[in-house]
Amino acid sequence: MTGEPQPTLAAADLASKSDAELTRLGATLDGVTILHRELRYEPGSKADKRAERLVAGCFLLTFVSTVAFIVIYGWFPWKFSLTDERYYLYTPLLGVTMALALLGVGAGIVFWGKLLIPHETAVQERHDGYSDEIDRQTVAATLRDGLDMTGVARRSLLKRSLGLGAGALGVLAIVPLGGLVKKPKGELLHTQWADGVRLVRLDNTPLRPEDLRPGGMETVFPGVPGGTRSADGPVMLIRLYPDVQRIPRTGQADYNWGDYLAFSKICTHVGCPTSLYEQETNKILCPCHQSQFDATQDAKPIFGPATRALPMLPITVDADGYFVARSDFREPIGPAYWERGNYD
Amino acid sequence: MTKPTASEADEKPGQPAQQAGTAWSRLRRRTSGALALGLALGAVGIGYAALSPTGRANAGAPSADVLAGQQLYQTACITCHGRNLQGVPGRGPSLLGTGEAAVYFQVTTGRMPATMQGAQSAEKPPRYTEEQVRQLAAYVQALSPGPQVPGGNLRNDAGMAKGGELFRLNCAQCHNFAGKGGALSSGKHAPGLENATDEVIYAAMLTGPENMPVFGDNQISPEEKRAIISYLQTLKTSKDPGGHGLGRLGPVPEGIVIWVVGVGLVVFAAMWIGAKS
Repeated sequence: MTGEPQPTLAAADLASKSDAELTRLGATLDGVTILHRELRYEPGSKADKRAERLVAGCFLLTFVSTVAFIVIYGWFPWKFSLTDERYYLYTPLLGVTMALALLGVGAGIVFWGKLLIPHETAVQERHDGYSDEIDRQTVAATLRDGLDMTGVARRSLLKRSLGLGAGALGVLAIVPLGGLVKKPKGELLHTQWADGVRLVRLDNTPLRPEDLRPGGMETVFPGVPGGTRSADGPVMLIRLYPDVQRIPRTGQADYNWGDYLAFSKICTHVGCPTSLYEQETNKILCPCHQSQFDATQDAKPIFGPATRALPMLPITVDADGYFVARSDFREPIGPAYWERGNYD
Repeated sequence: MTKPTASEADEKPGQPAQQAGTAWSRLRRRTSGALALGLALGAVGIGYAALSPTGRANAGAPSADVLAGQQLYQTACITCHGRNLQGVPGRGPSLLGTGEAAVYFQVTTGRMPATMQGAQSAEKPPRYTEEQVRQLAAYVQALSPGPQVPGGNLRNDAGMAKGGELFRLNCAQCHNFAGKGGALSSGKHAPGLENATDEVIYAAMLTGPENMPVFGDNQISPEEKRAIISYLQTLKTSKDPGGHGLGRLGPVPEGIVIWVVGVGLVVFAAMWIGAKS
């Protein structure tokens, strides 16, 4: 864009020039003037050697730290131990060695650039404000001309067929997602609880009615193989104080066994474990979003984002005196979904 | 529930009655049948008195601890908990059946005597000495027996791993995974366990103070309670694998430190390098 006359050089002239000279020439052709270029230190001087050693030292630091990282990663005692407390140094040591390794590379390159590469000042001619009128007109015309040459305005067949093809290609990107859409069947409606399934602790021992004191709460699982690992199985078994008045939900008046009530532990909001039980207020709290359920009203939500009661498990005591479920939950546990249906 | 301590008191008067019986049988040969019958009736009467509900027998000769405890109770507790531990509506709950363990927990942690009514009585330096707490507990236990904290070692180091499992299943939801406590409803909170001694933790599990559920011995056996205590007390003194626990509060302080301190340092380093050019 500069109006300077272009220097003309013969091929032989170019071949005789050094790289530095060619660089300067190229810059001049682009309107850039290199005002001066100077080295910080005299090459081969004491200061130059020192700077070189500094940069090399940084790279060496990276090497040593990386080796240290690998050694620590592989051989340092990382397991928790009551007798050997060095485990607490494991993560910090990994962090420090990795930080030093990265720092070494970064600092080395910065020092190299600042201390050993020549300092240079260059000036480029720039114009102020808009481009010249002629430049603006010609650029706009070039764009319009290019569009006109494709014939997109005239050739409606191409325009439409391209739209059809590209549109189909877009659908192609969405179609595989359809495989992820699945209508829930039994897995969301049923859990492992069923008639006669015992309520067991984490270690698979069953519970008797005398095991909980009034005001007690215990997390129990379905007493079937894999029951303690099931995601939808955990149930809170709560024993109310004898003088607490219970207001059952419609249709589950007989779900309790004496003072004992059993609710799904999975919050009906987004499925956190709602196991904060306040024995004086009989509230069940969910720690994630502060939903509160009233155990005396069959876990009806009384505060927070949850809108449905925790599903209640009908329980009784079997012939051997252990707690058992009388059936599965009557409604799906956990957060809602479209096909869930409504339950009072 | 828990056996009253009075069972020991039963046996002591029983032994002299038996010895008296043998002495009288020797005498019987020399005395008339009527006298023997009278003495036998008398012996039955003494035996019956010895076996009758022992609260009364204790009340007959309360120990020095119980008397001292009664003094303390009538000074500090009676206003809210009533003359016979039955509680006063609107002021304080009934203490019937709460036992020594509850007294120990509430008074040694300074929660009782409470300074005011509120969402929850606050932990504070205890007002009473160990001796006085023992007396107060003896008084409450004598009036209405309840759970007691066993003496001796309350740790079970061999079961520590199991204790950790039980802690995470039963305790961590309210008291935080590292025992730092957390919020409950309506201004209440589950306290941090930093200062909790073995005895205090044991008493809390046994009695369920305030809103904490009760973990009776049938639910979590004494051995399991000891394992939980071992786990928790070890956890409190063990070092943090990351080098610094950041209050052991989880991802929130960790995120704050990374974004404020970590990213802040990087920004300042970049500015410093730029300024040196």
